[in-house]
Amino acid sequence: MHVEPEIEVLLRVARTLTGSWAEAEDLTQESLVRAWRALDGFDGAHPRAWLLTILRNTHVNMNRRRRPDTVEDISVLPGVRPAFGALAEPSPEEQLVRNILPDDLERAIGSLDPKFRTVVVLVDVNGLTYAEVAETLGIPLGTVMSRLSRARQRMRTHLRTHTDREGIVR
Amino acid sequence: MIAGARRMLSCRFTAARLQRYLDADPSALLDPAEVRRLEAHLAECARCARAVEDFRSLRWAMWRMSARLRPDPAAVHRMHQVVDELVEDRR
Repeated sequence: MHVEPEIEVLLRVARTLTGSWAEAEDLTQESLVRAWRALDGFDGAHPRAWLLTILRNTHVNMNRRRRPDTVEDISVLPGVRPAFGALAEPSPEEQLVRNILPDDLERAIGSLDPKFRTVVVLVDVNGLTYAEVAETLGIPLGTVMSRLSRARQRMRTHLRTHTDREGIVR
Repeated sequence: MIAGARRMLSCRFTAARLQRYLDADPSALLDPAEVRRLEAHLAECARCARAVEDFRSLRWAMWRMSARLRPDPAAVHRMHQVVDELVEDRR
């Protein structure tokens, strides 16, 4: 089945959309059931994009009162696990720079409007491509790029304002 | 004055493309001429070069957060069981 390699991604994205691991599991399970029912009509070309669209629609159907492109408080990190494995390895250049403190980072993310926060978390934390974020949120690619750019700009400004040093790194 | 205005335009050009340059996302790649112009500007503009350093730091910090936000392996296993049961039901 096309979905099995994507299960972890679905759970992570569902966590971003719902704000909790318990709800993420419910959403992922329901999405898998719907995907299975729709499998005959799937051409097999882009399973992740297909599944993310199903995840979005399922999320909207399961919780119509909540906007699908918002995210809960990222500072609440239930089930935080030790760092092992990762999505996309950062470049050696990125690994060389000094680190932003996690508390500062969480405050910077928390300072964002939810619609900007969701996009930056989906790209930088969940590791989705721009096109996958567009599928997940049902918004145009250009909107993904503009929200991402503004989110990162605002986070940079927040970090620079609150660290009182040159640059944002420590 | 002309040099200053030219520099400002170049900063704007760079800022408008910086995230796409850093992400190199397959659906929004810059063309080679844009990359050359952007990199030439970064080589001579300390302000934009510092922005690049900041955004790289930010991406790295977010990447480290992603490693802390992995789902519980038991949850992943349960989702695989859901798929297995669906497959089993069809047989």
